[in-house]
Amino acid sequence: MTMAILSVRALKRARTRHPIAVFVIRRLLALVALALGISLVSFVLTHLVPGNPAVANLGQQASNDPAAVHAFEARYGLDKPLPEQYVIYVGHLLHGDLGVSEQTQRPVLTDMVSYAPPTAELALTAMFIAVVVGVGLGLSAALRHNGWLDRTVRIFTLVGVSIPIFWFALLALYIFYLRFGILPGVGRLAPTVQPPPTVTGFATIDSLLAGQWSTFVDAVSHLILPAVVLAAPVTSLITRFARAAVLEVLGNDYVNAARAKGLPTHTVLLRHVLRAALSSIITVAGLALANVLTGTVLVERIFSWPGIGQYAYNSAINLDLPSIMGATLFVAIVYTLTNLVVDVLYTVIDPRVRLA
Amino acid sequence: MTAIKPSSVALRRPRIPQRWREPLLITGAVVVGLWIIAAVLSPWITPDNPLAQNATPLSAPSVHHLFGTDENGRDVLSRVISGAPVSLSLGILLVVLELVIGGTLGAIAGYFGGWLDEIIMRITDLVFAFPTILLAMVVVAALGPGLFHSVIAVAAVGWPTQARVVRSLVRTTMQSDYVTVSRLLGSSSFRALRVDVVRNVLGPVAVLATLGVGNAILLLSGLSFLGLGARPPMAEWGSMVASGSVNFQDWWLATFPGLAILTVVMGFNFLGDGLRDALDPRSFIDEALPGSRTVEP
Repeated sequence: MTMAILSVRALKRARTRHPIAVFVIRRLLALVALALGISLVSFVLTHLVPGNPAVANLGQQASNDPAAVHAFEARYGLDKPLPEQYVIYVGHLLHGDLGVSEQTQRPVLTDMVSYAPPTAELALTAMFIAVVVGVGLGLSAALRHNGWLDRTVRIFTLVGVSIPIFWFALLALYIFYLRFGILPGVGRLAPTVQPPPTVTGFATIDSLLAGQWSTFVDAVSHLILPAVVLAAPVTSLITRFARAAVLEVLGNDYVNAARAKGLPTHTVLLRHVLRAALSSIITVAGLALANVLTGTVLVERIFSWPGIGQYAYNSAINLDLPSIMGATLFVAIVYTLTNLVVDVLYTVIDPRVRLA
Repeated sequence: MTAIKPSSVALRRPRIPQRWREPLLITGAVVVGLWIIAAVLSPWITPDNPLAQNATPLSAPSVHHLFGTDENGRDVLSRVISGAPVSLSLGILLVVLELVIGGTLGAIAGYFGGWLDEIIMRITDLVFAFPTILLAMVVVAALGPGLFHSVIAVAAVGWPTQARVVRSLVRTTMQSDYVTVSRLLGSSSFRALRVDVVRNVLGPVAVLATLGVGNAILLLSGLSFLGLGARPPMAEWGSMVASGSVNFQDWWLATFPGLAILTVVMGFNFLGDGLRDALDPRSFIDEALPGSRTVEP
């Protein structure tokens, strides 16, 4: 009891001295709880359901042999009671062990390390496009509130979130690759191009680091189509939020004051309007990452992009328990951590946000 | 001869109030209405049997087959039309499921508050921590591929959005002055919930449900595209696009079912966005869009 009171006091004292540090610690503690919950969800989903992993992985022939099935279940702890299986699972997780993939016969974490960079490269490029275009469109729509541009942008954003992304990807490939041959087809690099030595895992950055200019150009040209397709729905989301954020800021007295004292329009926009709207736009961008990650599963499948989406797909259709669980967990943790960073950024950018 | 007073003409209410005559709302309603009619009449209006393999495979659109034929010699137009009842009914069923689960949990959380609220909201946080399709893929992979299983999967990942919106609407209404007044006047809290809260929650939920149908159709067809949803030979738009990605040269295979998904989803999104303006000019769930997660007022 006293311990608890003491720690509360210590927390209060620390909060006044290092508000951001305490905020980060609190969020990290919440993150641990969330991580446990996430592991429980993925565990329950993959263990409490009737899909039989032994049959899926051994094939019909081998699963008729009781000895083979038993050996398989013993190897993955599938013969133990469920709570025990979960404790074993979490114990392994804490050691960074996400299990061994049935498909690749490698630890899932090793797989993630090699499959994550292509996804990160694709997702970050798409996010960059979405934020730049979205903020631009949102700002111009808000400045002409209820004008024709505002209405057009609204229609575009509604169409943008209605496009089936897998269809859009096919269409883009058909037009730009098959019909006009402007851009290359699937994959990260042309088959004839020697991949650059792996440093970051990003084909674009690695080829620059190796000084291979032609490889860089090839990597960028392969990145354009999937990134633009992936960016389409997210651009719509960010446009809507940016427009709303800018509209809210525009109503403030200090914007009128800045205008009234004769500041040039672009100064008012950059220094007063966008700066104030930025914090909420950043938050939305963090949340929109979930949309991008959802999109990558479909886009990577079409563009044969060797990323986590492709990996998750292969695991899912093969009922490969350890790898689908590991991949899902990995993505969920990355997403949650990203949003923690976003929240911290938010408080740094906007001191008005209370840290409590 | 009595002169008509000009004011009486001007004050007469138009049959349809102005706020319901937004082009966006009307376009959405017309598109959705046409698709629903097509879905209901689909057994009678398909030019061919959608499953019959009696034409030359992979023939381009022509007078006989307006949308061409697929790799099994089936008429693509017939398959697109008979895909409508599949996607529409499952999309609507899904939103009903999400509303039943999410709406109930959200209402409980908002009405009772306290630890119950805390637990339910933490569960929604949990589900939100996963990218939607990945979680749905895990569920489908666990239950085995199939359209019904993918409906369960999408409902399992979709309910928290509804739960959060309903929760905060219930909370806001319960804390409003008129609920306080009506309770002071002696009405029970159940009556407050039934009369005031339901009235305030219905509009936003209608908007959310409309946007939700579009989102559900997108996700379901995505799962079918991946081969985790509908099984062949069923005419389902997502798996039809998938067959178009195999026969990539034959553009008509993927284009038409894809356009069907696009127009249906667009119809629901236009309708939902228009409804929001018509029902509540204050824009309660201001920038809520399908797939967007920041929908808390």
